[in-house]
Amino acid sequence: MKNIFSHPEKSIAAKLIIATGLLIVVVSFIFWYATLKKQEKDVMSIALTYGDSFVKFTKRSTRHSMLTYNSEETQGVLETLGTPEGVQRVRIYNHQGNVLFSSNLKNVGTPVDRTSLACTSCHSDLGKSAALIPDPVKWSVHKDEKGSTSLKMVSEIPNEPDCYNASCHVHPREQEVLGFVEADLSLALLDEALFKQGLALTVYVIVFVLAVSMFLGIINYKIVTHPVHKLSKGMERVAGGDLDYSVQINSVDEIGVLASTFNSMIKDLKAARDQREKWTQTLEDEIAKKTEEIRKTHVNLVQTEKLASLGRMAAGVAHEINNPLTGVVTFAHLLKKGFAPDSPQAQDLDIIIEQSERCSKIIKNLLTFARATPSEKGSVSINDVLNRTVFMVQNQEKFHHIKFNVVLENSQFIIVGDSSQFQQIFLNMFINAADAMGGRGSIHVATRSATEEGKPYVEIEFTDEGTGIKPEDMPKLFEPFFTTKPVGKGTGLGLSVSHGIVKHFGGNIKVKSEVGKGTSFFVRLPLQEK
Amino acid sequence: MKKILVIDDEAIVRTSCERTLVPEGYELRLATNGREGIAFMEKEQFSLVLLDLKMPDMDGIEVLNKINTTWPDTKVVMITGYSTVDTAVQALRLGAYNFIEKPFTPDTLLGAVKEAFEK
Ligand SMILES: Nc1ncnc2c1ncn2[C@@H]1O[C@H](COP(=O)(O)OP(=O)(O)O)[C@@H](O)[C@H]1O
Ligand SMILES: [Mg+2]
Repeated sequence: MKNIFSHPEKSIAAKLIIATGLLIVVVSFIFWYATLKKQEKDVMSIALTYGDSFVKFTKRSTRHSMLTYNSEETQGVLETLGTPEGVQRVRIYNHQGNVLFSSNLKNVGTPVDRTSLACTSCHSDLGKSAALIPDPVKWSVHKDEKGSTSLKMVSEIPNEPDCYNASCHVHPREQEVLGFVEADLSLALLDEALFKQGLALTVYVIVFVLAVSMFLGIINYKIVTHPVHKLSKGMERVAGGDLDYSVQINSVDEIGVLASTFNSMIKDLKAARDQREKWTQTLEDEIAKKTEEIRKTHVNLVQTEKLASLGRMAAGVAHEINNPLTGVVTFAHLLKKGFAPDSPQAQDLDIIIEQSERCSKIIKNLLTFARATPSEKGSVSINDVLNRTVFMVQNQEKFHHIKFNVVLENSQFIIVGDSSQFQQIFLNMFINAADAMGGRGSIHVATRSATEEGKPYVEIEFTDEGTGIKPEDMPKLFEPFFTTKPVGKGTGLGLSVSHGIVKHFGGNIKVKSEVGKGTSFFVRLPLQEK
Repeated sequence: MKKILVIDDEAIVRTSCERTLVPEGYELRLATNGREGIAFMEKEQFSLVLLDLKMPDMDGIEVLNKINTTWPDTKVVMITGYSTVDTAVQALRLGAYNFIEKPFTPDTLLGAVKEAFEK
């Protein structure tokens, strides 16, 4: 409430209060003034009525003594009339202005002031002419030195038969006015009453103005200032970004309508903002998804490119090694011809030939992942190959302390290819698992049907309880020569060769691993559609 | 006349062929690359060409095409490394008589050559 008056030009409420306040003050002042004047007039007319009565009463009281020309009695009556409080003076004087009788004996015989009402009421200017003015004023109000007002009333004493026929013969018959009765009456009591009433009125008006102003102020505050303040506060908050804010104004007037419009506007704004944020979020998610896709594609591409270049290199190497091997094999055979078939030399040469052929096989194996060219193509049952591989592995020392848990789906998972290639994949999985478990634990092997993009697949799962794979190693897993095993133990070719074979058949390999808990490999190979 | 042209950039392969086939009564010419081989063929007539599929200056397939168009009566046996089996199959389609894989034994080579001469 205080702050609205510190800058009235900025506040509607202040302007309203000032305007209505001013109006009330002006109206009240006019009312106050008019009432005071009216009261004064009313009081005056009462005073005049009483004054008139008093003068008439004076005339009556002195009539007898005047007619009998009893000066002492007349004087006595006037003195008596002058006694009550409020009657200041009563005088009778003749037409020439000489005081004949007075309530105050000292005045008797003195002339009347020519400017006094007694003369001026009938004569406009006594110095020049004694002409009469048409409508004589018979009373006047004046203030004495002490500040108290008094009413002077003058009334002529007309000539009448009783006067000019009286035995004293003082007044001739032609004279119209014989003299005047003049009464000075104090208005002090009336003044006091007026003053008291005026005071009461003033107090009343002031109280009224104050009360109305206060009431208006409160109403104003309740109806305008407070809601407007609330609204502007709400707008500030909203401008500051807080769209959860709503203005609580329940009135049904314009401000209430404004508030509810404002609130619904904020709701719309919030909805729009939420929508926008949702869009932004989905956009971000979409971008993240696409980025991840691109990254994966890129990784795959790099992988494929790496494998391809490695394949090219391996092919070159194989070709180069095959040439000298051809020489070795040819000359060993030539040499062998010079010896008897059972001779130790022939047997030694057979070892050379055998080992050369082994070299050639090693090279062929190295090449499988680069260019899968199965030599013995045929229908291969994945379940059979798995069973055979598990059987083969269980007889090896490395797997003596490993339990195999094989759960194969009862289904013919037939793939046309080279069974030795699949065996190579499975064998490597088992060796990796055994290495990861330090030769102790159990390996879970399972096959199941799966579908990818509407096409039938066989999924082969290899789960171990080994060390797990560190997240930073995950992307490198299928890289040729990536190994964490000591030199001589690991070549880092197992998974990359497996990957090459699986890719050749249009399948994929997925890995799930938790460090310290174990690893699962999922190999998926597409099945012939029936 | 059992005249054979060997085109291979590897000396040891050429020598291996020579040491396997000459004792068996075949007459051999040895060329180190495709151009040299073509030059030999323009001078002499051969019944059989042993052609290495992968050579630096001229691709084996190119030489095969040239021989097929110019000397249609001459048979070609491709010598290939394992990595180029697909190419060898392609070569058969393009008109090569047969192919052998490196490293080959003398028996394999002899078998393939004999077979080519028999038909
Ligand atoms: N089951 C597994 N548990 C833990 N680590 C594994 C597993 N399989 C593969 N790895 C990790 O992947 C690497 C590459 O495996 P692989 O390509 O088969 O080559 P290698 O077995 O010769 O090391 C391994 O050295 C090992 O670090
Ligand atoms: Mg391995």
